[in-house]
Amino acid sequence: MKNYPVPLSKSDLMSVESPARYVGGEFNAVIKEDMMEQLEKTGETSYVRFAFCFPDIYEIGMSNLALQILYHVLNESDFVACERAFSPWFDMDKILREKDIPLYSQETKTPLCDFDILGFTLGYEMCYTNVLQMLDLGRIPLLAKDRGEDDPVICCGGPCAYNVEPMADFFDIAMMGEGEEMILELCEKIREYKLSKNTDHPMTRSELLRNCDAIEGIYVPSLYEVSYSKSSCPGDAGSDGVIPAGAHVKPLFDDVKKTIKKRIIKDLDSCTYPTSPVVSNMRVVHDRSYLEVFRGCIRGCRFCQAGFIYRPVREKSVEVLCEQGRQLEKNTGYDEMGLLSLATSDYTRFPELAENLLSTFEGHHTSLSLPSLRLDSFSLDLMEKVQSTRKSGLTFAPEAGTQRLRDVINKNIKEEDIFSALRLAFMGGWSTVKLYFMLGLPTETDEDVLGIADLASRIEKLYYDIGRETGQKMRRLEITVSTSLFIPKPFTPFQWEPQNSKEELMRKQRLLKDHIRSRNIRYAWHDFDSSVWEVVLARGDRRLGPVLLEGYRAGHFFDAWDDHFRLSEWVEILEKHGMKIEDFSREYSEEEVLAWDHVSVGVSKKFLLSERHKAHEETTTPSCREHCSGCGAATWGVGECFAKRGEA
Amino acid sequence: MLQSEREKMMTMQPHQTAYVQRASFVREGATTFLGHLDLMTCFERAARRAELPILYSQGYNPRPMMVFALPLGVGIETRCDYLDVSLNRPYDADLFVKELNTYLPDGLRILKSKAIPEPKDSIMSIVTTASYRFEAKGIREAMEKAMQQESLIVTKIAKGKEKQTDIRPLLISLSQASDGDPDSVEFYAFAGSERNVRPDLILGSLSRYCGMDPEKAENARVIRLGLFSGEYPRIVPISDVEVR
Repeated sequence: MKNYPVPLSKSDLMSVESPARYVGGEFNAVIKEDMMEQLEKTGETSYVRFAFCFPDIYEIGMSNLALQILYHVLNESDFVACERAFSPWFDMDKILREKDIPLYSQETKTPLCDFDILGFTLGYEMCYTNVLQMLDLGRIPLLAKDRGEDDPVICCGGPCAYNVEPMADFFDIAMMGEGEEMILELCEKIREYKLSKNTDHPMTRSELLRNCDAIEGIYVPSLYEVSYSKSSCPGDAGSDGVIPAGAHVKPLFDDVKKTIKKRIIKDLDSCTYPTSPVVSNMRVVHDRSYLEVFRGCIRGCRFCQAGFIYRPVREKSVEVLCEQGRQLEKNTGYDEMGLLSLATSDYTRFPELAENLLSTFEGHHTSLSLPSLRLDSFSLDLMEKVQSTRKSGLTFAPEAGTQRLRDVINKNIKEEDIFSALRLAFMGGWSTVKLYFMLGLPTETDEDVLGIADLASRIEKLYYDIGRETGQKMRRLEITVSTSLFIPKPFTPFQWEPQNSKEELMRKQRLLKDHIRSRNIRYAWHDFDSSVWEVVLARGDRRLGPVLLEGYRAGHFFDAWDDHFRLSEWVEILEKHGMKIEDFSREYSEEEVLAWDHVSVGVSKKFLLSERHKAHEETTTPSCREHCSGCGAATWGVGECFAKRGEA
Repeated sequence: MLQSEREKMMTMQPHQTAYVQRASFVREGATTFLGHLDLMTCFERAARRAELPILYSQGYNPRPMMVFALPLGVGIETRCDYLDVSLNRPYDADLFVKELNTYLPDGLRILKSKAIPEPKDSIMSIVTTASYRFEAKGIREAMEKAMQQESLIVTKIAKGKEKQTDIRPLLISLSQASDGDPDSVEFYAFAGSERNVRPDLILGSLSRYCGMDPEKAENARVIRLGLFSGEYPRIVPISDVEVR
């Protein structure tokens, strides 16, 4: 294969941490030779050149399944050539700027500005400034309105694209929902645009964008305007008596769609899946292959955005999964495979799948990684089998310390279930337990906070009771209590809820810390500066565009890295632009128009509202498998909820 | 099953006979910038993709049994390094080369392989000498000067502590580049677990003591040409060492 040299001197490459991030050459990476030949001969290509951009470092991006799926879908088509690009770490960022070298793609080392289209995946809000870094280093005007006919089309997708308003100034296009089909439809439009350039009627960029609006699931922010109304929430007013709120996004033209409805893949079995993903040469965050088992979640925890935006639940068949698993193992050489979904145990034929995969791996020294398992006797038995070498810890996510609060958030995990599972596990020799909780949940009181410490110490007691009962010699028990902070997210029943102030969260954290006294229990807490900012970006609107731009210009990026995130400086910039944290962490009124109301994830606002009211009444909602609660996702006519309705 | 019982079972597996392939390989291009651990992982994954009958180590964390003759530092290419791969059955050497090459990433390539008896002395322990090629403007003059020095004191950082060492005694002999390129040199140096010198330390000493432009020294292309056993000048390539 032809070699595409890195546009950097050896000493520059050698001077950075992990030079292997910047050189490409991975197994299963795709370079379309005929396209490169066309380019060499004529300087042009009839291919649509797509750069899949991941706004964080290589090791994180290469562990991302969306990247692998869409890279595969795009390169499978005969008219698109997709390459990858990542955020360069500070050391490489500095070299690129000083030496005036544009950020380039992994495969053919092409500057990002030479692609036809850039697709960013927005997995978390804190990566927004890295989008700006990549555009800037890639020599692309940061603001969509400044881009001309020769600039690439800049688009995004992923969970944060559903409320892309804070980034609306920078993206030409946002894709709502699952991208496998939509992304090719988009590339088709780009191809028409490219081809028209050589005709008598060349299409303009704004015509292209209008054409893209015709694709379901595609949102073109520049075709909409925003009007702001005052908050109707009493007690929220600032010193001047008003705060702007209720960002109402409306189309500028009659033929532009008023509501953007997310796209889903109806049949996952027949949808193409990357069974030959790119295998990094260097160690990455998750060094394993991924088998996606199903999409969506039957549970409906009220704080969880993923639980609502990925509805309806759609499973792949065991037969397809086993075949994909077999190919993945063979084509990657990874010695570990992860089953991926929001709650693996909820897969209807989980035991059959697990046993089938284990027998495929027999004698190969390949292990199965099972995140998000619900603990019961079957999963414990399974863990014995898959972790043939070492016992890693057991993980539980009760999320709240009392049953009352667990009912509020609809976390349908009962204390007796936790204790009976733990009893089994402790009898089997497990001695490490991790417990995950959230602080600052709606209606939380000090009693709920102390409930966390209490739960941990009762687990400790259970462990040593079992030791006494059985006369077994017990190892030292290690319990880790870990708390993260509640962040109200769009498209959840808690999207209107306030976030606790930083002071209140600090007080709760101290309270909990003071009540965890056993040396067997360790309390690991999260830095909450980033959570305070995350709520601003998650529920923000277009007024944040200038804030993000100014922050980036002042040198803020890699905000997802706690060591590099500086909240006080962001607050300063926010205030300079006439806003404050409380504008976004406040309680939103149920009457106001939300910045993301023009987007539909298939779950109705009415349903979210009724879930919110049930939360405050401490009433739970059954899982989709037990009973259809009518969230709206059944309108797609596929998946679990639909099947249930059909029976009823 | 209790943890302790399982641990007992795992360690009681009988010893398996190893059918060892001793292979030589090239590394160039993108893979040059991999650290040694990542390089090892690349070979392991390629062998797994090729479905070679690799033997795994026993114990708590079984690893494929692959032993590299000498670690290859970041930024160093090689024309001929060596590794031993243990298989659980006899395997045709040519097929071994072909299979592995189908599944290695670009830049890594097996040159040759041969079946050897299970070695008593590890492949790491028999390496004594390496030959290198440096390519950079002015490298020849600088290396010639280096060879005339009594000593070349460099600062090594080992276990977080700075340590001064003299690398001059570790340079054995210098010659012109075999292709006659005036901006390249080739030389032998001690290598292996007893006495070893890292190429970057040599390059550092060239700019420090021998008047070489530091930027040119840092950007020099470094290629390991071969690894040898025995005492210079009676050295033999690792592939020719008789295994008993």
